[in-house]
Amino acid sequence: MDDSISNGQCQLIDKVINKGICVTCGACVGLCPYFDYFDGRVVVMDRCTSDTWRCLQICPRADYDETSLDKIIKKQDQISEIGSFKKIFMARSSQEEISKMAQYGGVVSTLLIYAIEKGFIESAIMTAKGGDVSPAGTIAKDRSDILNCAGSRYNASGGLAALNRAIKGDKERLAVVGLPCQMEALARMGLMEPDGAERVSRVNLKIGLFCTWALDYRQLNDYLKNVGLEEPIKKYDIPPPPSQVFLVLTEKGWREFPLDDIRPLIQKGCALCDDMTAEHADISVGSVEGLEGWNTVVVRSQKGEEIMTAAVEDNHIQIDNLPKENFDHLKEASLNKREKSRIATEEMKRRES
Amino acid sequence: MNPIVQRSGGINVLLQGNEAIARGALEGGVVFCAAYPGNPSSEILETLAEASQKLPIYVEWSVNEKVALEAATAASFAHCRAMVSMKQNGVNVISDFLTNLTLSGTKGGLVLVSCDDPSGISSTNEEDARLFAKLADIPLLEPATPQEALEMTRWSFQLSENIENIVMIRSVSRLSHTRSNVLLGDLPDFRPTPHFDLDSAFHTFPVVEKHKTRHQKLDQAAEMFEDSPFNHYQGPHKPELLVISSGCAWTYIDEALAILGLLDRVGVLKLGTTWPIPKKFLKKHLTLCDRILFVEDVDPFLEENVKALAADLGKEIGVKEFLGKSSGHMPHCGEQSPHILLNLFADIFGIDYGKRAYRERLTPIIKEMVPAREFGFSPGCPHRGTYYAIKTALAWDNRDGFVSGDIGCYTMGIWPTGFNQVKSVHAMGSGSGLASGYGKLEQFGFNQPVITVCGDSTFFHAAIPALINAKFNQSDILLLILDNSATAMTGFQPHPGTGSTAMGSEADPVDIDALCRSLGVCVELADPYDMENTAKTIYRLMKEKGPRVLILKRKCAIVEGREGKFPYSLNVDQELCLGEQCGCGRYCTRIFRCPGLIWDNSNGKARIDEVICVGCGICANICPQEAIVKENVEG
Repeated sequence: MDDSISNGQCQLIDKVINKGICVTCGACVGLCPYFDYFDGRVVVMDRCTSDTWRCLQICPRADYDETSLDKIIKKQDQISEIGSFKKIFMARSSQEEISKMAQYGGVVSTLLIYAIEKGFIESAIMTAKGGDVSPAGTIAKDRSDILNCAGSRYNASGGLAALNRAIKGDKERLAVVGLPCQMEALARMGLMEPDGAERVSRVNLKIGLFCTWALDYRQLNDYLKNVGLEEPIKKYDIPPPPSQVFLVLTEKGWREFPLDDIRPLIQKGCALCDDMTAEHADISVGSVEGLEGWNTVVVRSQKGEEIMTAAVEDNHIQIDNLPKENFDHLKEASLNKREKSRIATEEMKRRES
Repeated sequence: MNPIVQRSGGINVLLQGNEAIARGALEGGVVFCAAYPGNPSSEILETLAEASQKLPIYVEWSVNEKVALEAATAASFAHCRAMVSMKQNGVNVISDFLTNLTLSGTKGGLVLVSCDDPSGISSTNEEDARLFAKLADIPLLEPATPQEALEMTRWSFQLSENIENIVMIRSVSRLSHTRSNVLLGDLPDFRPTPHFDLDSAFHTFPVVEKHKTRHQKLDQAAEMFEDSPFNHYQGPHKPELLVISSGCAWTYIDEALAILGLLDRVGVLKLGTTWPIPKKFLKKHLTLCDRILFVEDVDPFLEENVKALAADLGKEIGVKEFLGKSSGHMPHCGEQSPHILLNLFADIFGIDYGKRAYRERLTPIIKEMVPAREFGFSPGCPHRGTYYAIKTALAWDNRDGFVSGDIGCYTMGIWPTGFNQVKSVHAMGSGSGLASGYGKLEQFGFNQPVITVCGDSTFFHAAIPALINAKFNQSDILLLILDNSATAMTGFQPHPGTGSTAMGSEADPVDIDALCRSLGVCVELADPYDMENTAKTIYRLMKEKGPRVLILKRKCAIVEGREGKFPYSLNVDQELCLGEQCGCGRYCTRIFRCPGLIWDNSNGKARIDEVICVGCGICANICPQEAIVKENVEG
């Protein structure tokens, strides 16, 4: 048997994996048996022979077919500084139990619990904390599953692997919570031949999280071990500037590390990312600088608007106007990320040629 | 009755070459036999072990070849006849002791049998162990047929006692494993009177004097070889070509000459005593003709020694034309065969050999008709699970890690059946030695993790010193001992961990786990059938430093199968299997490759070959669709 190795997978390995610019979104993991997400990294398990090239089509770091698919996706960028949207405001959970454990305003957890209770979705693809193992995608089915995932991981955690798992399972409707790269992977999934449209039809709600960068889990782990922190991590946080620190919570309490020590642990591929506000989501959620306990919420699609409006009307979520200076700052930060990405991409191409 | 232990001779029995060597040893009065298993030599000791049930002899599988020779030498020092048998690699292992022993000399007849494996049919190398006879200055006998194998072995003990040194017999795979009628001689009375004579001392000092003595012993053997019945000439008085040959290759010559009608034009000088060469006997025949061809297996041993003699005799015998490996007439590597000789004689004599093209025509047709077959682990083989776990752990780890391999069934890890994980294989125990070296390269910036594997028998044979070296030098080594409780590759001979000896008596097994722990290295256990957890254990151990041992314990599937203990019945759910539509790219048959899994071309889906599948059940976890279903079976 003379099987020819898939050129699609070869390209993905050459262009993304071997270059070290994979952002561990997990979109390729579980489409086939040839990729796996383990201990914070997406890895190639075996070489495949498929001629569908799905992994290459779906990867947010691969320039697959720049003439069509990429353009459709990138078009979003030209609409506004933060992509296309219907509404922007700030919001927080009305439920104290959720607010207490949330990273910021608890909007994501509240909205998901509401969506499940109202039958809008049956389960949600989220990122489990991991404890003493790496964080990873999980299929959350109820309030307690969802609340277990509350808080930021500062890592994409291969979360979309759980989506591919869920798609194989019961035919339920899903929400996906993810970083901008994961929202882009979902957009790519919609265009992916041959079965992308069918796969993505299972996703009823896409909640994107603002992101400036994510950390390489293994490098972070090594760093924390080197500084003597071996207990399971409960929570991470980066307080707004000018603090310049990275905070880690374990059972022994908070520990503080200089942000300059942490920046070298950022995934290489994050430098190429031009999306801070998850422009491909139905609803994008982030913090509100200077206002603890609130989220910035960007409602982008009809579907996003429907569920958000309902959650507000049923008093699960409270909303307020986003101060103008916060919106201005968000736009500026978003443009900044696009510019940095443009420079990094050009630099990479220059070095390659 | 087993003819090997038949007391009185005079009868013809069908014997394998190795059985003939064993019978020859018994007829020669051997009482102490030791060996380490290795194809093509293993049947010699197995035959003797069986004979030990009826005859008063001692037989052991030793921990390695060097210890085997040392143990047998003790018998010789105590005036008993003793024999060791091994494959060519074993001779490398004994070589240090051998080159010292041949200086000290021996007492009771001591015989070393090397079964070489031309073409490396069941070996990691192709090697001509005859060179060791020359290196160690000891007589070398090369039987060509099972009958000769018996007779030479029987006589070699007498020769050894005459010159007070060890004698070497060289067989090859084709002789060791061929069968023919052999006329038996009588068995002697086995009445050894072991005694170490305190007037004698066996050592190598003074070295130069002992070296001289060794040469004198060799000269003594040379004198005996001059009229040996194992050397003879057959052919015309004035041949057009003289073929000088030894060993099994000699048997192909007559066949080729007869087919080509050359029997009355070509003379054949067959040598059975090939070191030292019988010079006077050779001189007589070198004068028969000026064109001389050498036919022998592996190296140009006879060719070079006879050419050196011809140079010495130049003035007397004149200039000769030599055909052989050096002239390019014979292939430099690979075993001899009748068709090589047919083609060669046809070329030399310009004979249009009608059937010559037959083989050339047949080869492409065979290639078309016969499906490509590769080496593969048996269904249920624990090594498949082990290598799958290693593959998984190395992929997860993602730092370009690799496996330093060793000798055993698991050598096949270099091929797809072991997912091509093994990147080097050399001698017994060398995988661990290499790993102890890789484990010290970090200071120079080497950052690829290395896993080394060795089997239980290989561990006892030669990996222990490497592990101790790693402990001593604090090397970052991860040694996986693939303990399948068998010397499986060579035919399930007992070893120190199996609980019984060659003669069938019980032996308290050496506990590998306890032995490693006693070194103070980190030791863990895992089950190769539990591939996911084993992979996780390997992944975790790879991140740690210093010497680490992971023992992967599962009985060899062939043993397990004989005992009838596999618990599952496997089945591929034809609805769950999406076949070519799955996107898995036939993961089960293309990647996992257990022969029990087959691809049904008629419906483009996977199936279990229920004849081949043994029911180990480990494949049930590999299908992305979970289409491989295992069910417990009763009993």
